[in-house]
Amino acid sequence: MRKAGLTFAVAMVLAGVVLLREATRLPTGWTASGPGPGFFPFWLAAGFTVSAFAVLLREWTANQGKGERFLPEGAGKRIAVVFLPMAAVVGLLHYLGVYMGGLLYLLGYSRLVGRHSWPTVLAVSVGVPLTLFFVFERWFLMPMPKGIVLEWLLYGR
Amino acid sequence: MDFIRTFQDLLYGLAVAASPQNLLVAVIGLLLGTAIGVLPGLGGTNGVALLLPLTFHLSPTAAIILLSCVYWGAIFGGAITSILFRIPGEPWSVATMFDGYPLARRGKPGVALTAAFVASFIGALISIVLFTFFAPPLAEMALKFGPPENFAVLLLAFASIAGLEGGDPVKALTMTFLGLLLATVGFDIVSGTPRMTFGLVALQSGVSFVVIAIGLFGIGEILLTVEEKLRLDGLKARLSFREVWETCRMFRNYIGTLIRSALLGFWIGILPGTGATPASFMGYGMARQFSPRGSRFGTGEVEGIVAPNTAAHAAGIGSLLPMITLGIPGSPTAAVMLAGLFIWGLNPGPLLFQENREFVWGLVGSMYLANVLGVLMVLTMVPLFAAIVRIPFAILAPLIVILCSVGAYAVNNQVLDLWIMLGSGLAGYLFKKLGYPLAPLVVALVLGDMTEQAFRQSLIMGQGSPAIFFTRPIAAFFVVTALAIFLFPFARSALRRARGGAVAAEAPGTAGS
Repeated sequence: MRKAGLTFAVAMVLAGVVLLREATRLPTGWTASGPGPGFFPFWLAAGFTVSAFAVLLREWTANQGKGERFLPEGAGKRIAVVFLPMAAVVGLLHYLGVYMGGLLYLLGYSRLVGRHSWPTVLAVSVGVPLTLFFVFERWFLMPMPKGIVLEWLLYGR
Repeated sequence: MDFIRTFQDLLYGLAVAASPQNLLVAVIGLLLGTAIGVLPGLGGTNGVALLLPLTFHLSPTAAIILLSCVYWGAIFGGAITSILFRIPGEPWSVATMFDGYPLARRGKPGVALTAAFVASFIGALISIVLFTFFAPPLAEMALKFGPPENFAVLLLAFASIAGLEGGDPVKALTMTFLGLLLATVGFDIVSGTPRMTFGLVALQSGVSFVVIAIGLFGIGEILLTVEEKLRLDGLKARLSFREVWETCRMFRNYIGTLIRSALLGFWIGILPGTGATPASFMGYGMARQFSPRGSRFGTGEVEGIVAPNTAAHAAGIGSLLPMITLGIPGSPTAAVMLAGLFIWGLNPGPLLFQENREFVWGLVGSMYLANVLGVLMVLTMVPLFAAIVRIPFAILAPLIVILCSVGAYAVNNQVLDLWIMLGSGLAGYLFKKLGYPLAPLVVALVLGDMTEQAFRQSLIMGQGSPAIFFTRPIAAFFVVTALAIFLFPFARSALRRARGGAVAAEAPGTAGS
């Protein structure tokens, strides 16, 4: 836990330095139109870096949570089971689209993790994307990425 | 000021609003608005903009009633997903999550929902009364509030949110800076140059607050829940109308907060360019400072739900005031409605009250009727909404993920936002685990643009000297209060350390930045 806190604080300080560098690429002083575009970002990045460093110092001196585990037993696996398919669906959005992707995600999770019965699983994983489809595509006329499979099924292209 | 005249006008307006056609339009608007409010990413502003073309077939009075009812509906509806899933359905319902979600987790989603709805209703009611009787003088007064005053009020909002989750004040400060930095990403309003984009074109339009909030809270919460242990059962919640009634009776204890939040919200609403979102945060922050129950805020305190919702809805109403009286929109949503006004062939301004009596007073009358209708509609549905949390987790979790994704995509129609959402989800999980508070980050992100603009304009007014924040009395009052609130946790922890004595000295000197 202590290690995780320290690592994260170091990462924050480093991020602050990167942000500070990005901010100084713009005029940070007084310009013809008042404070330059980089003025606000520069001082914010400076404040962020300083306070992140203060957090680091405090974590270092507080010396808390030594020997505690950052993740409870088996938590890493449970998080991966939720998060990785999520990322996979977003990664394959071009092919699956929101609706098919949603269907597969719901189907997989409720069946494999929840072990619900097939009728429940099917009803939910078909019903939810279908409802969303009508709400967004028909009712509010907001097109979502449908993916090539659904595009082909709906419009033949 | 002749109140009798106003009263007659009001009765006339109520009669206009109560005509069968206008009532029907109001109900449709409220239903649509509630749906828009529930769906994350589809905001009230979008909703009003989407429906604008539909209004060309209606009379201007029916049209403004439709659009304003969508706005009221969205304000009611936004609270639902915030309370049940910790996904903000609308930007103004982020503050509702702080206490609404913990309360729902404790098995009282019905209480939380009722508190949010009734608070919105009361905020609206107080605001409408002010709107009815003091419209013109208030509108003029609001124009006297300059950039330094706005900046000072925003500073107060940051200060009151920074200490929100207890915890480490330095971490809260760090998160505030991070939120403000994220808000600067994208084109600079003054010079037009892209900032903090690291050369990425996709970032030039900025990072959307809604996308980040959906990730931090919605996805982050799922990861936290999963980490603990997969709970495969839904929450056991007691659902009945008696709970709704009992919650309504609790409002007797919150009269102070209700009035403070409503007045504050109304005022923030009138100020140009602000609206319900900053009002909700400020209402929450103020109640936390002034309420005797303030120290319990963030743990599922009913008053913590009441304060932001009262202010948000009061601001929603207030933001229409300068639009009607001066032609200056008080919020982004009001700006869209203003566009409608021009399309319908009306000229906003003081003359509107005389030339288009039916329109102005019809709108005022419909505010009364629509908010009564709206609160009754959503209250009857509380048990239904609350029943959602009984859905087993293995179905609810993917469902929430899908809702989050659809919502995040709908904001700007770009796939990059989905990656930002996933990234914020992971970040939100880590922040929460390591004790970094999320509220200051989100609040700073929402109010960042407004703050920077007010700050830059003030500096230009003061020719580069920050003294302008102290030479103007109203601004000085808020700045000093904000600094006092902000420094309080540092002073307290320093005092505690001095008493405890054991811990080595460290640098608390970051407060002045």
